[in-house]
Amino acid sequence: MWQNNLLIFVPLMVICLELLLPSLENAGRRVIVSLVVISFWTALRSHQQDWRRVTLASLTSLVGAVITFVLATRFQLGPMVASGLVGVVGGRLLPEDRQLQLYLGAFVGMSSAVRFPHFAHLVLAGALGGLLWELLEASWSGVGGRLGTLAASAVLIVLLLSGGGW
Amino acid sequence: MGILVGLVGFWLRQNTKLSIVEISAWLTLGAGLILPRLGSDGFLLGLICTSVSYVVMSSRERISTRKEMVIVSATCALVVYYGQNVLVGIGGRLGTFAALSVLFFNLARDYLKRRYDHDYGNHYS
Repeated sequence: MWQNNLLIFVPLMVICLELLLPSLENAGRRVIVSLVVISFWTALRSHQQDWRRVTLASLTSLVGAVITFVLATRFQLGPMVASGLVGVVGGRLLPEDRQLQLYLGAFVGMSSAVRFPHFAHLVLAGALGGLLWELLEASWSGVGGRLGTLAASAVLIVLLLSGGGW
Repeated sequence: MGILVGLVGFWLRQNTKLSIVEISAWLTLGAGLILPRLGSDGFLLGLICTSVSYVVMSSRERISTRKEMVIVSATCALVVYYGQNVLVGIGGRLGTFAALSVLFFNLARDYLKRRYDHDYGNHYS
């Protein structure tokens, strides 16, 4: 359903707001939050979820996010090196689906520490990345950068719902 | 530099058994380790190369030839360059730029192909 696919467009909506309508940022935030809530509601109602799969995907993505964030910020490796390391190690050790979920989490973990002063929000964004992976399985199939877009959606949704800005 | 990374990634995708995650991760790791040390523009180059490494993850239906990879890599480099100030600090930003480049290219390619087919059909009918 088209409403589900709206979730993957969250980063694009935010880019449009930042570039074209900066004066409408507050109203824009409310519109995006409403769309996100509606999209989640319809997505969760319309899908027959295999909750075991969803939980595993969320956990894998969460692990990727936390490891990358810790490597990038606490060990000061920087986001590129940290996500690269997570991808290389995950690529060696995990089956293909899990590799992708871990790498998705690594993208979430590339966020700046300024955006995530509370570690719990990062954990939430990491888990949400895995949920989006399952909900939006058919969206933008085969498009390079799809994982990053899902990660950006997860990060922005958590920032918006937690009352922060982007 | 972005085009070079795109071509290396394309070659790795065609000629090795590495998974798309491994290819992208190695390219990202290389870019992150080497390019930021090259001077003031090194960090931006690193961002461009990292974003192009995500383009490399596209399926063969989305990007099928070396020429297409060159075009999408160049597009992606431009998107990163002009998009430096949006979504700052948001994880997944570079992937979003990569996805935009791939989708834009696919739309343009399909449009041109349809137009060509239409003209070609008219010419010989």
